[in-house]
Amino acid sequence: MSTLADWTLAFCRWCNGSFFGHAIRDSTWLFPFVEVFHLLALALLGGIVILVNLSLVGVRFGNTTTPQLARELRPLMLGCIGVMLVSGFLLFSTEAVKMYGNWAFQLKMIFLVLAIVFTLTLQRRVIESQQTAAGVRWLTAAVSLLLWLGVGLGGRALGYVTTAASAVNG
Amino acid sequence: MMFQSVFLWLHDTSFGTVIRESTWAEPIIETVHVLTLTVFLGFVILLDLRLLDLAFRHTPVSRIFRHLNPWLFAAFAVMLVTGITLFAGDPVLFYSTIFFKLKMIMLVLAALNVVVFNLTLGRTLEQWDVLAQTPRGAKITGLLSLVLWISVVACGRGIAYVLPPP
Repeated sequence: MSTLADWTLAFCRWCNGSFFGHAIRDSTWLFPFVEVFHLLALALLGGIVILVNLSLVGVRFGNTTTPQLARELRPLMLGCIGVMLVSGFLLFSTEAVKMYGNWAFQLKMIFLVLAIVFTLTLQRRVIESQQTAAGVRWLTAAVSLLLWLGVGLGGRALGYVTTAASAVNG
Repeated sequence: MMFQSVFLWLHDTSFGTVIRESTWAEPIIETVHVLTLTVFLGFVILLDLRLLDLAFRHTPVSRIFRHLNPWLFAAFAVMLVTGITLFAGDPVLFYSTIFFKLKMIMLVLAALNVVVFNLTLGRTLEQWDVLAQTPRGAKITGLLSLVLWISVVACGRGIAYVLPPP
């Protein structure tokens, strides 16, 4: 287990020292610039997730069925996840070592992995299956929303955790 | 400063005071403000993509409007209330940043865009509702809306970036 922690820390150090970590840290405007992309992808991803889950629990959008809606939005959703991962990684690389010890960031990463895995596996199966019980659909929607909410809240919290830590450190 | 009396009043309201004095009020309201973006901006982008013929091409525009509008209005109300509450914490400081002024200008333009659409193409929606291609005016509206709302978010981010954390 300690090897994994060592590897993770080494990776964070490498990110901190990488050219993009340096470039974004040293520039006044690069960080907020990348952050705006992160936020916009968040907005659209959140919108899509909410829409699909609403459809899953029976809110009808015309005569579009849930599988149709999900299939139509899937490329857009995957695109958003891609933009969020890339922009998020760039933002992370400016203070990777600090993030390594940030509990909110760790929580966010756990939620992120769970949310992505859940969306691509279990939720997808529930959506595609025509005869799932209403209870299962409600449970799936609730889990999906809670996992993504965890990612969002973790993201909000990590900024405050850093602020608090840097205020303590000087 | 022409808004001085309004700023002073906002600053002294109960919610303005709570934002300044409570440890948790500002982060909680800020979080609600940011997360409501998923409903508001997320749905606006989906609407715009429909106007631009880039998503839901087989669903009539009117149906998308009908289904998304209640959520959009509710989310916008939440954004407005939380936004004004955050602003009340220190109106003069917010107003002193260029990003706040820009954000308000973009917000007004985005609202104008909606009004103009409703007065023109919105009135003839039945005629182009089910067409394979949306009219050029609708595409311009969608594009303007995307650009303006993205600017609003960018300026909002800018405000948080130039103002030191409390």
